[in-house]
Amino acid sequence: MNQLLTVVAFVAALTVAPLDAAVRPPHLQYEIMTLPNGLTVVLSPDHSTPIVHVELWYHVGSKDEKTGRTGFAHLFEHMMFKGSKNVEPEEHASMLASIGGQSNAYTNDDATVFWQTLPSQYLPLVLWMEADRMATLRIDKATFENEREVVKEERRLRVDNQPFGRLSEILYDTFYTVSPYKHTTIGSMKDLDSASVEDVRDFHRSFYIPGNATMAIVGDFDMAQAKELETKYFARVPTSDRVIPREYAREKPSVAERRIIVNENWPLPAVIVAYPITYDGHPDSYPLHLTSKILSDGDSSRIYRSLVYEKQIALSAFGSGNIIEEPNLFFAVALVAPGRTHDEVEKALVAEFDKLRTEPITERELQRAKNQFFRDYIVDRESIRGKASQLAHAVVIHRDVTTADGEVEIFTNMKVSDLQRVAKTYFTPQNRLVLKILPKTAGSR
Amino acid sequence: MRRRALVLVALGVCLSAGAGAQVVNWPTENPPRPLPSRPVSFPPYELRTLPNGMQVIVVMHHEQPEVTMRILVRGGAAYDPPGKAGTAALVGSLLHQGTTTRTAQAIADAIDSIGGALDSGAGGDHSSATVLVMKDSFDVGMDMLADVVRRPAFAPEEIERQRRQTAQSLDVSLEDPGFIAGAVMNRLIYGFHPYGFPDSGMPETIARITREDLREFHRRYFAPNNSILAIVGDVTADEAMAAAARVFGDWPRQAVQPPTLPDPPKPTRRIVVIDKPESVQTAVRIGQLAIPRKTPEYMNFDQAIRILGGEGSNRLFRVLRSERGLTYSASADMNTMLLAGDVVAETDTRTEATGEAVRVIVDEFTRLQRERVGDAELAGAQAYMTGSFPLTIETPGAIARQVVNAVFYDLSLDELRTYRQRANAVTPDDVLRVARAYVQPDRLSIVMVGNAAAFKDQLAKAGFGSYELIPLSNLDLSAANLKKR
Repeated sequence: MNQLLTVVAFVAALTVAPLDAAVRPPHLQYEIMTLPNGLTVVLSPDHSTPIVHVELWYHVGSKDEKTGRTGFAHLFEHMMFKGSKNVEPEEHASMLASIGGQSNAYTNDDATVFWQTLPSQYLPLVLWMEADRMATLRIDKATFENEREVVKEERRLRVDNQPFGRLSEILYDTFYTVSPYKHTTIGSMKDLDSASVEDVRDFHRSFYIPGNATMAIVGDFDMAQAKELETKYFARVPTSDRVIPREYAREKPSVAERRIIVNENWPLPAVIVAYPITYDGHPDSYPLHLTSKILSDGDSSRIYRSLVYEKQIALSAFGSGNIIEEPNLFFAVALVAPGRTHDEVEKALVAEFDKLRTEPITERELQRAKNQFFRDYIVDRESIRGKASQLAHAVVIHRDVTTADGEVEIFTNMKVSDLQRVAKTYFTPQNRLVLKILPKTAGSR
Repeated sequence: MRRRALVLVALGVCLSAGAGAQVVNWPTENPPRPLPSRPVSFPPYELRTLPNGMQVIVVMHHEQPEVTMRILVRGGAAYDPPGKAGTAALVGSLLHQGTTTRTAQAIADAIDSIGGALDSGAGGDHSSATVLVMKDSFDVGMDMLADVVRRPAFAPEEIERQRRQTAQSLDVSLEDPGFIAGAVMNRLIYGFHPYGFPDSGMPETIARITREDLREFHRRYFAPNNSILAIVGDVTADEAMAAAARVFGDWPRQAVQPPTLPDPPKPTRRIVVIDKPESVQTAVRIGQLAIPRKTPEYMNFDQAIRILGGEGSNRLFRVLRSERGLTYSASADMNTMLLAGDVVAETDTRTEATGEAVRVIVDEFTRLQRERVGDAELAGAQAYMTGSFPLTIETPGAIARQVVNAVFYDLSLDELRTYRQRANAVTPDDVLRVARAYVQPDRLSIVMVGNAAAFKDQLAKAGFGSYELIPLSNLDLSAANLKKR
């Protein structure tokens, strides 16, 4: 009796009690400068540990690839470890390792990022090496061909040989006709095979130039000394008069819902419901970010609770916006639980999007989403790498470094009505793609 | 047009000379010297014990307004009752699925609404629960942590939900070549020792677990004197200790008796091919039984394996990726646990290169044991280990992990402080000695998951013509011969 009352009281408290506003992340301290050759540098000191993180963003990703050369931006990223005038092949990574540093790189749709974390006294070394490969990359046919095989293995490992590995590829290829996001970053085997050494050379000249690069340095350094080193090693990289085309094809608005079924040899059927949305930094992108939290952050989020926990029709399910530089998709994916049908999963997913349009979310849900967002900022900023990524992202994708902190204010001011407004704008039936990926033969392994 | 052709010719000449520099006047120069370095030492932490025996570690860090609390209980999948593999994992996943005071949904709502995160689970040696909260919710977070660890409800409907999800997830994992290869390798190394089975259990063992098994596991091992609590972040040591005493102080101490387990079998060569005909790549795992975490030779053997396939060195990567382009990644890792440990090399390679990759890896194990490592190569591995030390103490979580690890495996806390000296003290002779003591190239077990028909001829040529072939649909991880009857 007593126990039951406690539970009732607790639930009642949950439904009525307003939530406190969140703890906010402290502001980042930084300076930003641009060298005469166009290189942008953001410097943020943090002396808590004698290490420094340097990341160099080149504003080129898979959306900048030419027809017939999908996967090239990423393949090129690999070539950046193959030596330059003063650095032998593979030496960039091995020199860093020999001082206890860590380094790697990644490519996404919009950018290619080279990063290294190292003991802070070696800051000159890493700046010198990054400048060397920006200015004088070695391009060698045998190395290129070897590296292409490595990338093909990477594709097999991550995409072709993984259950559900081709999910994004199928979704984007199905959804888009002309968007630069029609293909994914890893590219196709055929295009990788078509790439040539001349493509490598041309790509380096076109995109790996100071005016297309942003460096973030965060960690234990002296501001004046770091600026001096930056100038010493990078100012001598010549500027380029090449103009980078930033015109991307945009899809025509959809006129009716599309429903598509494809077959793949996967262990379980998958249902995807997708809608086109706007780009990162558009006023609508902020409510869409919060909508992702409401649908899929934590066990109390709507899609998990409905499809996985309560109805138990999905083994796993989530929905979120892929909010990047050019308009992309908001999509939900559910793996259909054995014994359940893809039709009931589709209905449940679509119902979640419809509900966002037809009913306002609660104030409590909104505050929860904001709190989760601030948590992500704060946890990310525990590491110098996290801080550097936030700063560089603000510069490269938002073209405004102040958004690294400024977005917190924007999120704070979001209202319930903002979320419903964007839901009505984007989650409409005629915008919708329902994509079902069903096993080739029922019950087969 | 003509001009372009000329440029290409010029570039071609340049390439054959070994450089493709685009900037004409770029200087030829040596790497710059480092700046003066700052001294660095292991950061301060507090380690205290509550009267009921719970060990509490506090690492303070005031930059970001958050606190993480993690409790580690001695007892994981290795303590699963016989025939009931998956018990610890099910207990772990159920900790935050309802307590005697709150439902699963109430817990989820409470943690999500304060912008926190809560997770729980089990590994081979331990069970754990972790709560992350913003500073102003520290007390709320501590209450939740104590609640889920001390008072899980194990409600029947939650058990069934988790059981079903675990079994279904396992079915999906059993289509993932990496998971299959790892699971089979563990069985070859550990036989019927509990380390040989997936922590999650297997469909038939998960089906056998009763609510009473879960309650019994919890009763036996979840005790303050069998637990380590780490509190990390934006709190003071006094605040942290007071909170620990408040929520765990009245948890009574109890006698804990770990089960007696059989020793893992001695290494024997066994080669297993799991046939997955649609594969476009072969998952290769090659390994053997090695050493548990607490052994005097740990540092020496660690360096031997780093040279074979670890960060900062990695012969396997050099040969398989950089020189031959056969793979995206290649590594060798020591997996050292409380009762035993292993070393496993892994790579994934295109089907046509399977035999070659296996040969290279086995040969590298052999070389480690036959040839003394060169001074420069060893110095390189040590330079990475000692140089990267400050990177391992950047975040409070990373600091706490090292302290917790030392306490959990009963290592001397001095080891945290002396890490760099100990790393630098290892000699080429030490590496050769431990390689000879623990590596047995002719007894390495080999697992390949891929399109068997397409690579079987290569295996014979590479010297591995004798193997057990098991179609994936016929794989049974519980059986001695790994086959369904």
